[in-house]
Amino acid sequence: MKLYCLSGHPTLPCNVLKFKSTTIMLDCGLDTTSVLNFLPLPLVHSPRLSKLPGWVSKDGSANLQKELKECAGRVFVDSQPEFCLPEYIHRELLDLSTIDVILISNYHCMMALPYITEHTGFTGTVYATEPTLTIGRLFMEELVNFMERVPKAQSATCWKNKEMQRMLPGPLKDVVDVWAWKRSYSIQEVNSALSKVQLVGYSQKVELFGAVQVSPLSSGYSLGSSNWIIQSHHEKVSYVSGSSLLTTHPQPMDQSSLKNSDVLILTGLTQMPTANPDGMLGEFCSNLAMTIRAGGNVLVPCYSSGVIYDLLECLYQFIDSANLGTTPFYFISPVANSSLEFSQIFAEWLCHNKQSKVYLPEPPFPHAELIQTNKLKHYPSIHGDFSSEFRQPCVVFTGHPSLRFGDVVHFMELWGKSSINTIIFTEPDFSYLDALAPYQPLAMKCVYCPIDTRLNFHQVSKLLKEVQPLHVVCPEQYTQPPLTQSHRSDLMLELQPPPMPYRRCSVLNLPHRRRYERVYILPELANSLVPSEIKPGVSLATVSAVLHSKDNKHTLQLVPKPPPVAPSKKRKRVLEEPPAVLAPKTLLSGAVPLEAFLATLQNHGFTEVKVEETADGHILHLQAEDTLIQLEEDGTHIVCDNNEPLRTTLRDLVLRFLQKL
Amino acid sequence: MDRECALLLPGVCAVLAGSGSSLPDDTSLEKLLDWFTGITEDGGSLLETCPCLLKLISTVVHNAASDPGVLSFTLRLTGLLAATEESFKTIQEHPVLNKVFNLQHWQEAGLWEDPCLRIGWIQGLRSMLQHPKALSFFVQSGFIDPLLQLQTDTSLFIAEAANQMLAHILLFFQPVPPAGCKGMDKKEKGDGMTPSSADYTAVVKSISGYLKESLVPKESKNVRQSLQTLKLLALLLAQAGPPLRDKLLQTVGDSLEELVTAGSSELTLPLMDVILSACSSSGTDERITRLLSSMLNINKPADLIHAAAAFLRRGHHDTVHTARAVRILLLPLDIMTGQTLLGTISTADEHQFSVVEQLKSKSSCISMICVCLSNTPQITLTPPDVLPCLPVSIVTAVLSLLRICSGNSPSSSTGCSEVSRNVIGSSKVQKCALEALTTLTSSPGAKERISEVFTVLIQYLENPDSDPTVLHKSYQALLKWTSVCTDFSFITDQLRHDLVEVVKKRVCDMRWEVKDSTVEFLGHLAGVCDSIKAAAEERDASEALLGDCSTTPLLREALQDSESYVRASAISALAKTLTHRWQQGATLTEEEPEIVSRLLEILSQDSEGFPRRAVVQYFISWYSSHSPPSSSSSSSSSSSSSLLMQSVRSVLSQGRADLDWEVKVHTLVLAELLLDEAFSGHPGYKKGSDSHHASPHAYGVVSEQAYTLHTHTATHTEGAESDLAVVVEQGVVSVLLSGLVDCDRPVALKACRLLITLRETVCPLSLGALDASAAMATVSCELPGCGWGREILKILKMKKSDQAKEEDIADQSGLNGAEEGGDSVCVSVCEALRSLGLDERMEVLTQSSDHIHNSPLSLLQDILTASATHTKPGEEVIVDCY
Repeated sequence: MKLYCLSGHPTLPCNVLKFKSTTIMLDCGLDTTSVLNFLPLPLVHSPRLSKLPGWVSKDGSANLQKELKECAGRVFVDSQPEFCLPEYIHRELLDLSTIDVILISNYHCMMALPYITEHTGFTGTVYATEPTLTIGRLFMEELVNFMERVPKAQSATCWKNKEMQRMLPGPLKDVVDVWAWKRSYSIQEVNSALSKVQLVGYSQKVELFGAVQVSPLSSGYSLGSSNWIIQSHHEKVSYVSGSSLLTTHPQPMDQSSLKNSDVLILTGLTQMPTANPDGMLGEFCSNLAMTIRAGGNVLVPCYSSGVIYDLLECLYQFIDSANLGTTPFYFISPVANSSLEFSQIFAEWLCHNKQSKVYLPEPPFPHAELIQTNKLKHYPSIHGDFSSEFRQPCVVFTGHPSLRFGDVVHFMELWGKSSINTIIFTEPDFSYLDALAPYQPLAMKCVYCPIDTRLNFHQVSKLLKEVQPLHVVCPEQYTQPPLTQSHRSDLMLELQPPPMPYRRCSVLNLPHRRRYERVYILPELANSLVPSEIKPGVSLATVSAVLHSKDNKHTLQLVPKPPPVAPSKKRKRVLEEPPAVLAPKTLLSGAVPLEAFLATLQNHGFTEVKVEETADGHILHLQAEDTLIQLEEDGTHIVCDNNEPLRTTLRDLVLRFLQKL
Repeated sequence: MDRECALLLPGVCAVLAGSGSSLPDDTSLEKLLDWFTGITEDGGSLLETCPCLLKLISTVVHNAASDPGVLSFTLRLTGLLAATEESFKTIQEHPVLNKVFNLQHWQEAGLWEDPCLRIGWIQGLRSMLQHPKALSFFVQSGFIDPLLQLQTDTSLFIAEAANQMLAHILLFFQPVPPAGCKGMDKKEKGDGMTPSSADYTAVVKSISGYLKESLVPKESKNVRQSLQTLKLLALLLAQAGPPLRDKLLQTVGDSLEELVTAGSSELTLPLMDVILSACSSSGTDERITRLLSSMLNINKPADLIHAAAAFLRRGHHDTVHTARAVRILLLPLDIMTGQTLLGTISTADEHQFSVVEQLKSKSSCISMICVCLSNTPQITLTPPDVLPCLPVSIVTAVLSLLRICSGNSPSSSTGCSEVSRNVIGSSKVQKCALEALTTLTSSPGAKERISEVFTVLIQYLENPDSDPTVLHKSYQALLKWTSVCTDFSFITDQLRHDLVEVVKKRVCDMRWEVKDSTVEFLGHLAGVCDSIKAAAEERDASEALLGDCSTTPLLREALQDSESYVRASAISALAKTLTHRWQQGATLTEEEPEIVSRLLEILSQDSEGFPRRAVVQYFISWYSSHSPPSSSSSSSSSSSSSLLMQSVRSVLSQGRADLDWEVKVHTLVLAELLLDEAFSGHPGYKKGSDSHHASPHAYGVVSEQAYTLHTHTATHTEGAESDLAVVVEQGVVSVLLSGLVDCDRPVALKACRLLITLRETVCPLSLGALDASAAMATVSCELPGCGWGREILKILKMKKSDQAKEEDIADQSGLNGAEEGGDSVCVSVCEALRSLGLDERMEVLTQSSDHIHNSPLSLLQDILTASATHTKPGEEVIVDCY
């Protein structure tokens, strides 16, 4: 059992498991933090961005004025943003065309799917739940839309030159594999990739070539999010990705099914182990209220699904108590409408109390009411209706959380200059300081309340204590306290035996050894067996059969009787003739008791016996006959010099002590 | 006992004697006993006045079918009757006494199983054991052994009562009352009633023998017995005189030593209690000191900490042990925070190792640290030669513990990380530490750390994960430290900015508790600042803390809050914030009229009582702190006054009509202030009608001053006329009159008092009716034709009709009918005041509302009635005993 680790990002995993005869990719997350190195893509012409000075190295030796722009001491690539893909360029690590299936755990962890299904010769199937597919598609469409509606004429590549990169300042100098960075995919690629997805429901069992069975379990993190169980008859591997024990909107996590795993692959823990989601939600609300009361606007850069539902629900309760009843809330995204609507129809994927609302019948999420009462309005973009209905002070939810593309860029340019406005970061995926870097100097107030509902270390230790896997595999980041908080030894995994850490490009030999395989036996064959009891309760029988393996299913069949030999002399037939079946030898079992054996030898006239003890048993030296008998646990050897009658006699004496089958 | 009761009592006794089943109201027996006890304590003799009781006792005791409740009552009654030596003798003449307390009798009847009876037995004996004769009876009857057995009764109440009883016997009959001994009630000791020393010796012998035997648990299951015995011993040692104490210590000394050595966790605290009791009474007994030393050296860290804490709490001044206890309590803090509180611990001893091991377990870590923290303030106050470090280092340690708890500890901290992670995020420890920090303000040298304290507290207020109670405690600590602060120069711009930002954020919090504590904090801060200003502090503390951020807008926002508590807190905080301006007679700000109109809106519309009460109180504090407009005051200040007077008028009329009685009482307080101001110059006026005898409960307080006769001359009332007119015009009189007929007694009482004061000022009864009406005839007030106005008119009419009985009743009703229409009527204030019968009303109102239903007479009647109804079959009687 081997695990190939293609991504080093703990919450955007991409691992490949080779298990029995199958090759299974577990998630294909796209590391989008690379876009932080690029300049934002403004929706309308931004004089500020266009006037940024180009970068020239101090000694003037490197001139990349066209490609790199400087803002507040940091350098950004002026080009279409690019993403850091899972490691598949190095074909020597793994040939991705051999992947049989891809299992997706949630819509955040599938954003690299088009790169893999469309460019690697992939021919397998992708498994995901329905909400994962639907919302994943929305995310991809949104991404494509964000990129394509502001095309960049130029594509910067010179800076990637190794010689050049070495001279660059700041974070650009240290980024790796820049040549592997890729621009966004197209909508055609998205469609083609998603057409390979096969839908599955929680606990549904999917057979892979008869070798293993995979099955998704609710993970409680987002709509349709799942953990996966991959099991054969005798082995069980659990794959835990983004999971949550909080009672937000999704169905609660199924923990008990993870029990008794041989190996548990653990990814997708919270990125903010010190930020408690409840506290952050409170912080979010109070900062929002504080800004609105002071007459400012609030900008919330966010994804178009997920935490936003919880934020809206929380605000729904909060706006009345904080007297924000008249403040408009805007949700701007190319997929805003679909996201809000889809969330209401995935009743079966919701937590119990939301499900029960459907039968009342009421919409499960209160954002329906916010929309009805005109408190929440959604628009596909800032163009069109929005510009005419826009009223301040207001709260705007819009993407992308990296602040590099999407409508959020516009609001940053619009509101950034005034200190009465506030930007509240709720998505934990990007460092807010890095996200804000190209907007400096910024007068706007910044509040960082990352809401990450994924498991924290405390919860995961409790979970592991309960499900008790034999071995745990996890990203190396989880095996030590966070770099910035090295004193917090409570923010790491401490297990016995210690977890196996992995990093990007690791290939792990999973410690689990396969020891058993299930083999079926045909009834006729079983009938012919003659078991003999070798000790009370244990019977043995010898089997002669043909092992038939097809679709990873093994069956013992009767040995076909040799057909009456036709008097043909053709060569071809000789080749097809089954091999002659030899009569099976009797099998011996038991051990030769030394004392009794010596006595027997004595009786038979072998009087001069010298016994020597060895590591494995004894050596009996019959001095008169110059013969050795080696008695070992799994074998007996009689060494005599060309004296066949003597050997036979001795052999028969030995056999007296053994059982025959 | 009055005659009526005496007449009813035999009937009641018959009921009790005859009732085989329990009484419908089981509290009536208790009440009956209370009444009897009262009579006995007042020196009355029940036996003489109610011979029927003795009959009752003998009937009940001989009736095998008696209800256990009634039996228990009988036992206790017997004890009560035999409480004096004289009556004891009388009872002893009857054969009943032996029978009543005869254990064997009850056991054979199978009634001893009932806990009711057992407690009756103990309490009966306890009441009786007030004189040597009773003790002799007790000893001769051999009751001591059964009593000792009851000490471990399955019922906790019985076991406790038995313990108390044992202590009572030993202490009460101590041969020589030690001088100045803080013993129990010994009022009857001086009568030369020394008990026969043989009896007492016998008792002491058997009890102390028992103590010795039962102190050390034979098996683990006997721990309860040891526990009970230790409790008893602590009771005894705390109050025993020297001979008894020495005797006890001598007897149980070995057992105590054995217990200390055994070191059972369960027994640590009670054992410590005993040793400390012995210590405080016996002074420097070597053996006790040794025991104490061993207690402070036991091996189990958790027990040791509790023992040390118990020692410190008792406030002993023994240097060696105090130093030891202090070290024990500081060690966990030292380990966790890495602050060297104990100096360099040269003896890296086993104890420290085992403490660290204990601290590694989360639950014991939290409980140990909390014990240490709650003792830190006490520790800093111990003499410097006892402390292993400067008191200020303890403040530092608490601060760094607070940082660890919030997860913000700098990584350079040398504390044990394996231990410290147990307290990260624990709100229990946070609360304990904040409480300790609040109390540590009084520690010597603490102020050196004030800047650090502020930084940590602001961090706590900032922390999104802080529990609402933790935030509340942080605010309290901040206030406390502000109030002791004399120099605000340490507050940097950054600190100020942080505090302002966090306060602004917290008033918008999702949790109402947090908003409430924040708003409250702002109010208190204004209060603290005022008191600092009063102390002639040049710098403004509020300005120092919050800079030029005005809190008023924040508080105004909070007036709109959806939670009524927050609204109420915001109103009182606004009052506190503005008090200073009012006192200075400052000009009206732009926002003040808006605040006032919002407050009046709350008073008239808010559905919750708290904000409405707060509104009236706001105006009370405004009115009482505003400076009346003088000739020199500017026009703006007078505009403030006119706004105040205008709004006071609305408050009076709205507060009068409120549904909440507290709002109405507050409205009356406001009216009183207006009266005070109007009449303060008049000789007949007594300011503060009930402020002198203000009691927390307005119930049943008799007015002191209402009945003094005044001998004013007519001239006194002349100036009063115009003032009365003002008061009427302000609506004060309407408030008082409507209050008088209010159905809530506290309101009516307060109104009545004020009306009497007013009457005494403007038209005292001593003045001839003619004089008064002549002087004040011109001032009249309008009564509405419905509601309270009609009530008042009705009273006035009744009074009139009393005076003129010949008037036709039909006429009256006709008149009433004419007024039903609702037209308002003008009446002369003075006439009304005189003819409302205020004094009679006052008398009725001052009696508590249950005075009729709580009398012994009604109790007896209840029992009789209940039994009468109860005996009718098939009728369910529900007796409301209150």
